[in-house]
Amino acid sequence: MSFVFAVLRQVFRNFRQTWLSQLMTLLTVSLSVFIFAFFYLVYLNMLNIGDKLGYDLRLIVYLEEEPIPELQEQLRRKILAFDEVEEIHFVSRAEAFERFKTQLGEDQDVLEDMPEDFLPPSIEVVPLKNLRSLNQVKLFSEYLSKLPGTIKVQYGQDWIERFYYFTRLVSIIVVLSAGLLILTSVFMVSYKIRLTIIGRKEELELLKLVGATHSYISTPFLVEGILQGLLGATLGLTSLFGLFYWIKMKFSGPGILNIFEFSFFGPPTIVMIAIVSILLCLTGSYSSMRKYLRT
Amino acid sequence: MSNQSTNAMVELIKVSKTYHPNIQALKDVSISIRSGEMVFITGRSGAGKTTLLKLLCKMELPTRGLVEIDGSDIRKVRGRNLSYLRQQIGVAYQDFKLLTDRTVAQNISIAMEVSYRKPQVIKKRVKTLLEELDLTDKHSSMTGDLSRGEQQRVAIARAVANSPKLILVDEPTGNLDATTTGRVMDMLIGLNDSGATVLIATHDHTIYRDVDHRLLELRGGQMHQLRDGVMQ
Ligand SMILES: Nc1ncnc2c1ncn2[C@@H]1O[C@H](COP(=O)(O)OP(=O)(O)OP(=O)(O)O)[C@@H](O)[C@H]1O
Ligand SMILES: [Mg+2]
Repeated sequence: MSFVFAVLRQVFRNFRQTWLSQLMTLLTVSLSVFIFAFFYLVYLNMLNIGDKLGYDLRLIVYLEEEPIPELQEQLRRKILAFDEVEEIHFVSRAEAFERFKTQLGEDQDVLEDMPEDFLPPSIEVVPLKNLRSLNQVKLFSEYLSKLPGTIKVQYGQDWIERFYYFTRLVSIIVVLSAGLLILTSVFMVSYKIRLTIIGRKEELELLKLVGATHSYISTPFLVEGILQGLLGATLGLTSLFGLFYWIKMKFSGPGILNIFEFSFFGPPTIVMIAIVSILLCLTGSYSSMRKYLRT
Repeated sequence: MSNQSTNAMVELIKVSKTYHPNIQALKDVSISIRSGEMVFITGRSGAGKTTLLKLLCKMELPTRGLVEIDGSDIRKVRGRNLSYLRQQIGVAYQDFKLLTDRTVAQNISIAMEVSYRKPQVIKKRVKTLLEELDLTDKHSSMTGDLSRGEQQRVAIARAVANSPKLILVDEPTGNLDATTTGRVMDMLIGLNDSGATVLIATHDHTIYRDVDHRLLELRGGQMHQLRDGVMQ
């Protein structure tokens, strides 16, 4: 009779004897996978949105009057003194007018009576596309507004800033829920297996006496841990996908959520989450088993 | 003399066992049991019979002295090797150690499952053993529901199921009537005839009175030979 058969038979027997507590463990593991994956998914999508926002981010510095080339050079140096930037572009009154006209498209006849210089000249500053420059966009705008000759500075409003603050908050929650996942999986599984060991001490002692090897005794418990991890991850991620899909359906159509494309985890992330969950549950059952077999 | 028949299956040299706090269960016991021999060990209650058997399967370690099974020092056998050694030793414990919430068949199967016997083989062997011990109708009963005498026979069946080289039986007939005792002894003698070394600890003089195997007596932890066995 092969080892694999013996292990599967014992796993099956364990399940028949303790299916209720195994189910409880499974639900706990699934729930913590779900909670962790939920926040992680939110975080990833926010990063995604952040990327898109960051891509469009530019500060517009409105000037009192059109700068002569020499002044342009001075202003450029002053801007670069704060931080490196992606691009600095001077927009003259005429250019601003032209742009506005093309933006209006078919409605451009409303501009017919306006003087061509009614728009102020400006400097467009495109910050570097990284999180740091996004985080200090407010400081940057304050700096720019103090440059001589500026009327005001405009950028994607301060909700960008709040958005990044929120992203950081979510990242903290992700870390915390990862901790929760680790604690619950390892401790629940190891606690459950310790209970099983206590409940079946007599049988396990007898198995040792009739010559069962350590692997004969412990492998079924390790397999149980692996199954808990795998099924827990599957159940948790499947319900998260259900929720995700439901939200997507519910809010599809015109609405603010529709501006952004929400996406679920890619296959590598799903596999990673499953592997981590399996390893954690395996660790739990291994630690209990080792404690028992050592004595 | 053939060398094979003199191979020692069990070798004890000046073995003492002291239990905590200061109970001397065995004192300087030295015996040598040849492979294929059948030996009776008698002695009053508390004389150390069970202790002696426990030393042979490493359930207890000797306080002093050397215990060798089939040539290997029991102290040095560990882990996987200890498991393999125990698969070769069948023990019927005085307190049975049955799993009371399992059926008779499941209890007898355990030792065979541990050494990966095929399910069909296990099934057949269980059936034969139950017939030999007159337990056929108890195949699927929980051992917890059985009478003492029935439990005793299940314990013996489990000990011999895996065809071990060494069979240790502790008080096999304490709860049995004369007929059933006869069945049990017939089975043990049969196993001995087919090569197994058998050690029987017992108070029951009826089971060693009419046979000519070696008879040892423990008295206050010390070993005395009452009768020399005749090797076939
Ligand atoms: N685990 C133990 N701790 C302390 N003392 C023990 C232990 N096991 C046995 N003893 C003592 O060792 C002595 C020998 O015990 P053992 O069980 O070997 O006797 P026995 O010959 O099998 O007796 P019986 O015929 O009643 O089964 C007894 O005095 C017993 O009380
Ligand atoms: Mg005894």
